[in-house]
Amino acid sequence: MFRRNLLASATAIALMAGAAMPAKAEVSIMYAEWLASLVEPGIAAYEKETGEKVNAIKLPGAGYDQRIALDLSAGTASDVVQMDSFMVSELASSGYLMPLDEKAAAWDQYQYYMKGLLEVASYDGHVYALPTDTDVRMLWYYKPNFEKAGIAMPWEPKTWADVLDAAQKLKDAGVEYAFQIPAGTKQGEATTMQGVYMALLGADKPDDDRNRLLNRKTGQWIGDSPGLRRTLDLYHQIYIDKQLAPADLNYATDPGAAVRQALADGKLGILASGSWEDACLWDCNGVNLPSREERDKLVGWTPWPGSGEPGAKATTNISGGWTIGVNAKAADPDAAFKLVTTIFDVANFKAWTLANHRMAVRTDISESPEYMADPYLAKATALAADTTGRDTVPGYQTVSALVQQATSDILDGASVDEAIKTYHDALVDEFGEDKVITYQ
Amino acid sequence: MKNQANPWLTNNLVLLGVGMLPALLLIGLLLYFTAWAFAFSFTDLALVGRKSVEWSWVGFENFQRLFTRRGFLESLWTTVIFVFFSAIVGQSVLGFLLAALLRGRNSTLKTVIEVCIMLGWLLPDIVAAFLWSATTAQTGLINALIVVPLGFEPVNFINDYALPVVIIANIWKGTAWSYLLFSAALDSISREVVEAAKVDGATPFQRVWLVMLPIIRPHIATNMLFITIWTFTYFPLIFAMTGGGPGTQTTTLAVFLYNQSFSRGNLGFGSAISVAMLVIVGLLSLVYLRMLREPK
Repeated sequence: MFRRNLLASATAIALMAGAAMPAKAEVSIMYAEWLASLVEPGIAAYEKETGEKVNAIKLPGAGYDQRIALDLSAGTASDVVQMDSFMVSELASSGYLMPLDEKAAAWDQYQYYMKGLLEVASYDGHVYALPTDTDVRMLWYYKPNFEKAGIAMPWEPKTWADVLDAAQKLKDAGVEYAFQIPAGTKQGEATTMQGVYMALLGADKPDDDRNRLLNRKTGQWIGDSPGLRRTLDLYHQIYIDKQLAPADLNYATDPGAAVRQALADGKLGILASGSWEDACLWDCNGVNLPSREERDKLVGWTPWPGSGEPGAKATTNISGGWTIGVNAKAADPDAAFKLVTTIFDVANFKAWTLANHRMAVRTDISESPEYMADPYLAKATALAADTTGRDTVPGYQTVSALVQQATSDILDGASVDEAIKTYHDALVDEFGEDKVITYQ
Repeated sequence: MKNQANPWLTNNLVLLGVGMLPALLLIGLLLYFTAWAFAFSFTDLALVGRKSVEWSWVGFENFQRLFTRRGFLESLWTTVIFVFFSAIVGQSVLGFLLAALLRGRNSTLKTVIEVCIMLGWLLPDIVAAFLWSATTAQTGLINALIVVPLGFEPVNFINDYALPVVIIANIWKGTAWSYLLFSAALDSISREVVEAAKVDGATPFQRVWLVMLPIIRPHIATNMLFITIWTFTYFPLIFAMTGGGPGTQTTTLAVFLYNQSFSRGNLGFGSAISVAMLVIVGLLSLVYLRMLREPK
């Protein structure tokens, strides 16, 4: 209450000042602009079916996570909310989201959702949101530049050294961003998922969760480990020692757009990103895509290799994805859930999944002939066999932000030791001494 | 005291009270928010997660963290550099020079320059950020027009010189305010005083330094007060241009506060930072207010 009063009044004033108070409508929804091609046809179908108007609030992708958290905690969020899956447990533990199990059980298409994927959107035994898609992560590479640098294709690096070696060749051939790996706080969750976690999972032997941020058995955060040190050292080599790319894309006015522009300009060599890039490199809403042949001519991808340390995994992967859930304060929960199911109705959802080459979260889509016939999805889905999820427990958002800060410190010229010490101390500040462990 | 007041006012106390109501409400609101931020700074309150519901009082722990953990002092130093060069040196001096040089002129040149200065002031911060990012990028205007034609390798200004670039962008953005204020101040100096100094044999420099500057001293102090406070807490242009990076090179206190409060969701610690900023700006204001007083 204490804080909500303040946040509510502050937000109310901000809204009045900006004259941005949404018009009164039966159901409202907030979503990121890149998800428009899924959400907007769903809204249109809902309006047609019920005759009610939906108040749609489309938001820019940059700063989206912060906006959602702030609006939900201030009580000013819309009835239906799109959010990154890592935030679901956090928001649910604060009581901002409505459990959906009961309503979902009565919906005929709910049975098709893959159980493991519903888990990322669950907290304390309840499902709080429905996933839009899942993803895998890999290294994308720009073929014309690889040709210029004389690197054999298909490119199949076996260790980090192979990746750094290729990046050095690209740099020598004049490629400006030889290895673009997300770093720093402005890239937000991209730094943690596409960069740090992908490296960390292959940095050390996997026993005892030594190569994760959290020991999932004891629930303790890992403040220092050989894996973390090697991961930060990789950042140090890329951005400081070998200067394989300037850091500016990570801090651009719109980092996502800047990275894609660099690729379009032929200035990118290797890009650490995920399966969505097959469509996103050109347009995240799947329009104006070049043909399969043209895309294959320009870009290729390879799994993230492990560090090459004895016992480390050969390739790594981690999966996330986005979700849509219902605000605990929704004025009309039934109407809100109806909007969710209309968006996820198979006619709408399947078309979007296929057009955007997203990895399906429902068996009625993933087992459909069209999905199975897509050569890109078939190959990317194979990576999912050996994937893992984020540590979707409350506190992850903070830890993720601390990891981003650690990469930022490295760019600042801090040594790996200093960055690790700052990270460890901050974990202790946040969670207490007994919740933080160190691996030798 | 009541006896000294205007009799009309003393006879209409109710009306007076009603008239003051909006002001009182505003003051109350300001105090209310400040008090909350102050109270938060002694808690471990979070934006989301368990501590958003089960928060507790932590005493001075947040304030202790300001000085024992990396981040705050570094950001404070960045902020001091940013304020000193972009506001005090840049905007004030440039604004004054422009106002002094264009004073009394009524040429097309003056109109053109005034429109240019005002454009910077009128452009939304985010638009200005995009403009400056594009201008200072490796393939941007400066490289294309100056660096490359002169035969040098293109420089990635926004990456290699992030803080100077942000400072220059902010000078460009904010000089209009100082220019307008100093123009008005210089216009208020009576012509006779300056003419008299001229007759007495004062050089142009002496006329500015010994005659004009002392007369507009209160204006200078007012200007400093405003732009120091604005620049100290300024956020949008810096965040949009660099996000506080590369690394933390352009992380001013406002960006640091944003990262702590909203990326890490740590409202308690964020409030402690804002209280510290309040204290620093408050002390600076006292210095300027002292400058505003007439010397004895």
